[in-house]
Formats: sequence, structure tokens, C-alpha cells
Amino acid sequence: MTLGVRRWDTMGESVQGVGKRCNQDWWACEGTGAGDEPLVLAVADGHGSAVHARSELGARFAVDRFVGLAAAFGRAARDCHERGSLARLMAYARDDFPRALVQEWRSAALGHWDRHRPVADVGTPEPEAAEKLVLYGTTLVGAVVTPWLFVAWQIGDGDLAVIGHDGELLRPLAPAEEDLGDETESLCGAQAWRAVRTHWAPLFDEARGPRLVVLSTDGLSKSFASAEGYRDFVVGLDDRLAAEGADGVRAALPEWLRQASRYSGDDTTLVAALRPGHLALEADHKSEQKTES
Amino acid sequence: MSGMLDSGTRLAVDNGDEVEIIGMLGAGGQGEVYRVRTAAGEKALKWYYPTCATPEQEAIVQELVERDFDDDRFLWPESFVPAHRGSFGYLMALRPDRFKGLPDLFRRQLRTTPRALLTACLYTVEAYQALHSRGIAYRDISWGNVFFDPATGDVLICDNDNAVVEGDASGISGTMKFMAPELVRGEPDARPGTQSDLHSLAVLLFMLLMNHHPLEGRRELGIHCFDEAAEKRLYGKEPLFVFDPADTSNAPDPMEHATVLATWNAAVAKLQDLFVRSFTTGLRDPASRVRETEWRNALRAVLDAVVECASCGRENMTEPGENPPPKACWGCGAQLVLPPRLTVTTPPPRAQHDIRLRRAARVQAHHLLPEPARHDCSDGSLVAELVEHPAKPGRFGIANRSKETWTGTRSDGSSQQIAPGQTVPLRSGLELDLGGGVRAVVRAK
Repeated sequence: MTLGVRRWDTMGESVQGVGKRCNQDWWACEGTGAGDEPLVLAVADGHGSAVHARSELGARFAVDRFVGLAAAFGRAARDCHERGSLARLMAYARDDFPRALVQEWRSAALGHWDRHRPVADVGTPEPEAAEKLVLYGTTLVGAVVTPWLFVAWQIGDGDLAVIGHDGELLRPLAPAEEDLGDETESLCGAQAWRAVRTHWAPLFDEARGPRLVVLSTDGLSKSFASAEGYRDFVVGLDDRLAAEGADGVRAALPEWLRQASRYSGDDTTLVAALRPGHLALEADHKSEQKTES
Repeated sequence: MSGMLDSGTRLAVDNGDEVEIIGMLGAGGQGEVYRVRTAAGEKALKWYYPTCATPEQEAIVQELVERDFDDDRFLWPESFVPAHRGSFGYLMALRPDRFKGLPDLFRRQLRTTPRALLTACLYTVEAYQALHSRGIAYRDISWGNVFFDPATGDVLICDNDNAVVEGDASGISGTMKFMAPELVRGEPDARPGTQSDLHSLAVLLFMLLMNHHPLEGRRELGIHCFDEAAEKRLYGKEPLFVFDPADTSNAPDPMEHATVLATWNAAVAKLQDLFVRSFTTGLRDPASRVRETEWRNALRAVLDAVVECASCGRENMTEPGENPPPKACWGCGAQLVLPPRLTVTTPPPRAQHDIRLRRAARVQAHHLLPEPARHDCSDGSLVAELVEHPAKPGRFGIANRSKETWTGTRSDGSSQQIAPGQTVPLRSGLELDLGGGVRAVVRAK
């Protein structure tokens, strides 16, 4: 088993939807993917309508708080191969992490509200906390990758796509039923942690880990006529990364997202992490050996 | 995700058969589960993570396979699959689709009823009781291992590969949320076993019925990161029940814990009292923990006392027995109107079961026994049910669904025979001889 330090090629970009007051998406991509520096990817999409007037801040709070919690979680996973650790980590990832995330986000949003109260509210009764949180409503898709673990969480719409070591495309957090229209689960919902979906995938052979991880807000997937179009996009991204390398794709990404945004009319954000080529090649080599045998 | 094994991989089974990997079903804390093709049809293969594939775990699995435990409530290891590339596993039956995980329940992704949840609790208690009565400690009771049918309450207990004979060593000591406090604290004399299973069982029942962990109140709100010391404090060193009558410092927060405040209020004292004992004295004194028989008796009594709200139709728990205290519907707040009660009395050792005659109320075979080994609420064990007159809405009768002919005696002393399939009109004071020395009486309250 090889559990050395490995690094990822990463990229991220966000474009504002046509006619939007501001870009209500936010994203982050931090860390190398090494054991003491987990790779953390996140995108968030503030709801944007008038009742969610501060959602661009909500999206930023969601990403920022997620990055802190996920990095701490990834570092805590360093000893996950000790006896019993994986079971405990999984229980935390599935049960406790969503609650911690929602609490942190609420704390950030309510703290901001306290510091930035509406100026014209003198004499009006103090809103309930739930009403304040609605102002900041947002979705979130986030993932943490270490040499030993790949864990992802999602609340609301947006997409996580993973290309496995064998080239298979998976969407492990896609809901059984898509949200209808623009309705979506939100961090501002009552007991929002119940709506958080979790993907859990320990890694025991570095070469069998994902080779490409792509997170995007729904501005991207909505720009396609069908789910098949989105899948084709991710497969095409994987192909171009293989053919042109990360630099070429990184340069082209803003224009791709602008095009998508023109079709969806929404802010559009994508972050992606590509596993280094030598590891992918090693996996391919192993697959070939298996086929031959 | 492809996991540790690729589709198409063939593995030898200890019994001489071969299996072929079809695809991965999921990943857990100890290993991955795959759908596999075998000569006997499709099965599930649990494949351990290399770090969990220890000689001790192998010995446990081999012992469980040899034990050949035949019980439809458990997905038991059936065959050992020997080492391949540093790991091993075992075959078990596939979990039917109708069984759903508890995380789905807690995320409100399932539609179920209080009756189905109470039934699931009752069946879960009896399943663990069946293990303990054979001298097997489960040691890993948690919400990840119990699956239930939200329509019927049927349960299926999975991941039985940590169950060991009482006194044997097991690879794990449970999930901290479900672990007995003395195990969380790591006390030198404390060992996982039947006593600690009773704590885990109480936590599981509380979570099923209340949708919340019994020790996660205000104190838990301060824990924001993966902090083992804080977890140990919460579940082991300073555990405090969220409804501890003597100490409210860990009471539910009205905003964060609104669900458990509502579900606790919807429960009845017969269950609340057992939970209070489990999570007050039971936290400190393992010997005082609520036994399976106590849970079983309370749960079956409350199950028989579930009624529907006349205003909104929602199912409500009511206090079992005669003259329960007045109660408002948890859904709409209307005062509950209690239907008549059927008191079933068994032959010696005499036991009495009070069944509230709500719409479609049922008498099951287990009601006719003083100490049923196992409760069964399915159609297969139906003895009688309340039915509405097909031509006269609002008039009800008790239909004989058994194979026995009953004798019914009205309050005026007149009697009639009720053959299988026949219905006797519901009247206060009606006495039924259900055969085998079992008598039932309809009471107005």
C-alpha cells in the first residue's frame, strides 16, 4: 500500500449570470491533498431572490465555514487506519459534521445580521432567528480528499461528479429525485442538517482513488437540456485534461462557464481537482494486468 | 465508486463455491458491501478494509458462520470468503428494498406511522433478546445496523459480524454515541456485553421514537469539531439525559432541538419512565438498566393503545389501560376521543392485554398468549379485527379471522356462536370466548 504525499492539479472559476445584481455563488479550493494538508473543494449558490437578499454572503459563509471544518476533519483522518477509527470517522461524517456545519453557518449569518442590522427597522420588532437566516439562504457542495479518504457533503442543488480510476463517471450525491424547478434544500431551512447528503469512500490503494473530482453550482447543469448533457461535459473535461493538461483547461474554463451561464441565466461556478498523471497511469497499468490475467 | 474490488472479479468461497462481483452497494466503517453472483443466486458480500481484516475478526466471522443462526430478523454471515489481496469477507443475503435505514427516517425521507415505529421498536427488542438468550452479545448496536420497513415495522439487523459469545473478545466496542458510558470512559473492568448492549438498545429505541439522541442537548451545541475529548465527556464522563428530571442543564434547545421536544410530548409516561430510568440511574448503574422484557411489555402495551385523532386522523400514543389521562393530538391539538377497549385475558399464567378499538384495530395471535416468544403484527397471525358495517357506516363489529368458532355473550346474557369469517356487533359488555381459555371483554373506557 502506498500512502505517501500526493498533490492534485486544481482549478476553479465563477461567472456572474447575465442581468444579475451580483454573483451570488462562492467557491474555494484549498490544500494539496497530503495527509496534513487535505484538499478541500466547495461551491455554494446563494438563492438570490428578494427574500434571500444577503444570499451572496450566505454562500461565502457556507464555503468558508465548510473549508475550516472539512480541513480539520481531513487532518483528524490521518490516523484513520487505526483500529476503530474509520467507524468513528464515518459516524462523525454522516451524523455530526452536518450539524456542526449548519451551526457554524448559522453563527456566521446571525453574527453578520447583528453587525449589519437594517437601518430602517427602528421600532419594528426583532425578527426571529429563522427569519434572519432566510436572508442568507444558500446551497453547498463540498468535498475533502486525503490520501486515505474521499468524503463529500451536499445540501440543495448543485453537482458532484467523480471520474474513477477506471474512467467511470459517478454522481454519488445526486438525489433520487431532482428538486422541482427552482425549489431547493437550503442551509437556512429548519433543521437543515437533516437535508445534508453524505458520500463516504475510504481509500486503501492510492491508485484506485478518483482521478477527477468536479463540483459545480446548478448554473452549469441547468445550461444543458438534459442530465446527459452534463455528463458529456464532465467526460469531455476529463478527456481535455488528459489531452491538454490542466493549464489548457484552466485557460478555457472561464469562457465555458460564460457560455453555460448564457444558457442557464444563472451564476455558474466550477471547481475541479485532477489526480496527477503518474498515479492514473499506475491504475491503468494495474487494470491492464488484471485483464491480462 | 469502484471500491476495493472491481466488477467481474471472481473470489473463492470457503464452501467450494465461487462468487463474481457485480457492483458495490456501499461503504461503511469496517468494510464495503458488494452485490455478487453465486450459484444460489445474488447475494451480498461484506469485504473488510485491510486494517479491519485481522485474525481476530476472521475468527469471529468463522465462528458466526459455523453457528448457522437461522432467524429471519438477521442478515447473518452465511459463508466465509477467504483472503484475497490482503482482505477477506463473508456472504449474506441481500437486504430487500422494503427495508430502509434509520438515517433516512431521521432526514424525513421516509413516510411512516407511530404504530410502525412502535412495532419496529418491539421487533428490535425481541431480536436482540433472541441473541442474548443464546448467550450472544451484539456489541455494535447502532442506527447503522438496523433497517426497518416503514409500512409494517418489520426489522432486519445487519452487520452481525461483531456479535460474539458473551465473554469472548470482539474487535470493536461500539459506536461512541451508542456505547455504554463505562465503555466510553474506558474503565478497566468494563467489557462490552449484554449489559452494555442494554444501554445501546435504549439509545436506539429513543432515537427511533424521539428522532434524537438522548444525551445531545444544550451541552452538545458547543461541540463544533471532531473532538474526541468532548465526545467522551458527552457520552461517557458527564452524560446527562436531555429530560433528566433533576438536572435541566442539558435540556433541549427550543430552536436546535425542536423535534425531540415535540416527540417527547407525543410519547406516553409508560415509555418516558423507562427512558428516564435508562438515562439517569441506568447511566451510572448498569445493573439497573431496563431489561428487554420491560421494554417489550411497555412497547406492546403502548402499541395496543395507539388511537387515531377524530379531527385530523393522525395516530397518537395514549396511556395503556383503564382511564388514561386526557391527551391532545400531537398534530392538530384536538382533544383525543378514546374508542372502546377490548380486554383480552389469557389462561394462567394469567396476562391481560388492553386493545383500544380504533378503526381497523387487530387482535393478533400473540394477544392470546401470556408470554409470547415473539410478537407478530402481520396478517398471517391475525385473529380478529374491527370492521365497519358495509351498509351502515359508523357501525362496527369484531370479525373472526381465526380458525376457531367463538362464543359471544352480550350484557343481557344472550349468546351466539361466531364462526370464522363472521362478525359480531360491537357492544359494551360483550364477552367473547376466543377458545383455549382466552376471554375478551369490550369495555366502554
